[in-house]
Amino acid sequence: MNNFLKLVWNEQIKLYAKKSTWIMIALIAAIVIGAGLLAKFMDSGIQTEEYGADWQSELQQENAALAKEMEEDEFAQFSNPFTIQKNEYYLENDIKPLPYDGWEYVLENAALTSLLSLFTIIIAAGIVSNEFKWGTIKLLLIRPISRSKILLSKYVSVLLFALMLLVSMLAASWLVGALLFGLNGASPMIVQETAAGFEQTSVLKEILLGYGFGMVTLVMMATFAFMISTIFRSSGMAIGLAIFLMFAGNTLVMFVSQYSWSKYILFANTNLQQYFNGNEPIIEGMSLAFSLTVLAIYFAIFLAAAWTAFTKRDIAGN
Amino acid sequence: MAEKAAMTLIGLKKTIGSKPIIKGLTFEIKRGEVFGFLGPNGAGKTTTIRMMVGLMDITEGDVLIEGKSIKDNFKEAVRHVGAIVENPEMYPFLSGWKNLQQYARMTEGVSQERIKEVVELVGLGNAIHEKAGRYSLGMRQRLGIAQALLHKPSILILDEPTNGLDPSGIREIRKYIRNLAEKENVAVIVSSHLLSEIELMCDRIGIIKKGELIAIEDVKTVEDHSALKDVHIEVHPLEMAKDYLQSEMDQTIAINKKELIVSAKREDIPQILKNLVNRGMDVYGVRILQSTLEDKFFDLIGENAIE
Ligand SMILES: Nc1ncnc2c1ncn2[C@@H]1O[C@H](COP(=O)(O)OP(=O)(O)OP(=O)(O)O)[C@@H](O)[C@H]1O
Ligand SMILES: [Mg+2]
Repeated sequence: MNNFLKLVWNEQIKLYAKKSTWIMIALIAAIVIGAGLLAKFMDSGIQTEEYGADWQSELQQENAALAKEMEEDEFAQFSNPFTIQKNEYYLENDIKPLPYDGWEYVLENAALTSLLSLFTIIIAAGIVSNEFKWGTIKLLLIRPISRSKILLSKYVSVLLFALMLLVSMLAASWLVGALLFGLNGASPMIVQETAAGFEQTSVLKEILLGYGFGMVTLVMMATFAFMISTIFRSSGMAIGLAIFLMFAGNTLVMFVSQYSWSKYILFANTNLQQYFNGNEPIIEGMSLAFSLTVLAIYFAIFLAAAWTAFTKRDIAGN
Repeated sequence: MAEKAAMTLIGLKKTIGSKPIIKGLTFEIKRGEVFGFLGPNGAGKTTTIRMMVGLMDITEGDVLIEGKSIKDNFKEAVRHVGAIVENPEMYPFLSGWKNLQQYARMTEGVSQERIKEVVELVGLGNAIHEKAGRYSLGMRQRLGIAQALLHKPSILILDEPTNGLDPSGIREIRKYIRNLAEKENVAVIVSSHLLSEIELMCDRIGIIKKGELIAIEDVKTVEDHSALKDVHIEVHPLEMAKDYLQSEMDQTIAINKKELIVSAKREDIPQILKNLVNRGMDVYGVRILQSTLEDKFFDLIGENAIE
């Protein structure tokens, strides 16, 4: 086996020999199953029955009922217009609504990618610093292998871990969704609200985009945590800082968005959703190409900083 | 032993911040030799060892391993080295066996058979399949040595290998180390701050103090029979024995509590004892002070002040 693959193999063994890794996997499985059961058996407003042959008049009746409800109930004034407009879109475009299915469940779970980011950050923050904590770094770095190669094998292992989490979550969501809600064929079309109004689109495309956007944040924040923990040789601060920035980053950008330099902040660029579905970028003058360039530069800086700290510094006092 | 040195230190220096820690070490270690690296706490033993294996940058000078510089040719140099630096630390959540497999994968040509062989050698037995987190210090020390031997290094570096071991553990380690040097022709470097713990396993001892090598002593494995030694004899009656030896046998004598201290050659000892017994004196015990190295060590080190 190739030398580098063996290093990655070593890292994977260490990762999966630890209980905490399996707890993460179990948590994701529990959330996917639990959320599916809640949606199915609690009154969560999802529409599970199929419309009949005369679905047009069914929709019209539904809208009339919703409109009447709005006259009596204040709360309904907020929630009902969305459904009414969606129904009108179906009627105008002559699209028969499909019941909620497993594909839509998978799509909704794209929100869970922030949980994947959280777990990946924890792994990324520990993979180098734990070797210092355990003292094993001294045994690792006296092999006839360059420090760069060892660091790279660790970084690749973090990405492999994230990929494993992603694939497991997709598979679990699809399976749970299919079992609980069934599937509307192999690649159904769904109707979604965008900034430009309602739109019919392929569910597979939406899944790809939804999870893809999530992965951008995941990779950037995991790389950030990897860098911080490699520089400081401890995981606590890396985890704290990365998680704080992941959740507060957007708000921070909002605070300074009147300044033009704010568009160079990492968090102004991690949400690529701003360039899709008719959305406006959060700061004027930004484009997809701009954001991708900024992301690439940050990515390179993070890795270069981690590499410099890992290859150049003495291993002392451990 | 006219062989090329296995490891050569050339004017090795380390400065951390502005503080000189190692101030120019120059010496060689040959194949088949056990070299003791002796010094009080804080003398710089571990720092030197970290530079030898490339964990720390060398401020000035170089370390050559089998002729290759650890600075410029790290991979080729470190390939020949097996080491434990400070404590033998392992992945606590992996078994001893899986710990060894980790390191086996990092060097070419270490087979499963070789892993079995070293486990056998250090005598870990069935414990090898238990989690390393549950090992006692002695077991971890053994696993550390197993790890260092996996790839059949020609130089073995052990930083305080006797640390935390009981006397029988120390005796066993001494046995492996002598074996490795004599049978496998490995150059072994062992550091310690206790002379008594390594004296018996070393061929030479280098004494380091405050980052400087202040002496290199050969440990005589073959006793020098013509040298005068202090022989302590517990005999009764003391005064009679003293008078007799002084007048009849022309020996220099001192009395210490219930013992006579006679300065004599090894070959003269039986005759002295025979004469004492023949004259009706009772001899209760005889001992020869083994080594004067200990005294020398203390003379060289002075009091053990860490600075
Ligand atoms: N990272 C560091 N920064 C500053 N000083 C250091 C550093 N590492 C070691 N030292 C100093 O270098 C000196 C030598 O330390 P070293 O650990 O090499 O000693 P040692 O001979 O191995 O001692 P011991 O017998 O206690 O293991 C000590 O005075 C220590 O304070
Ligand atoms: Mg030390």
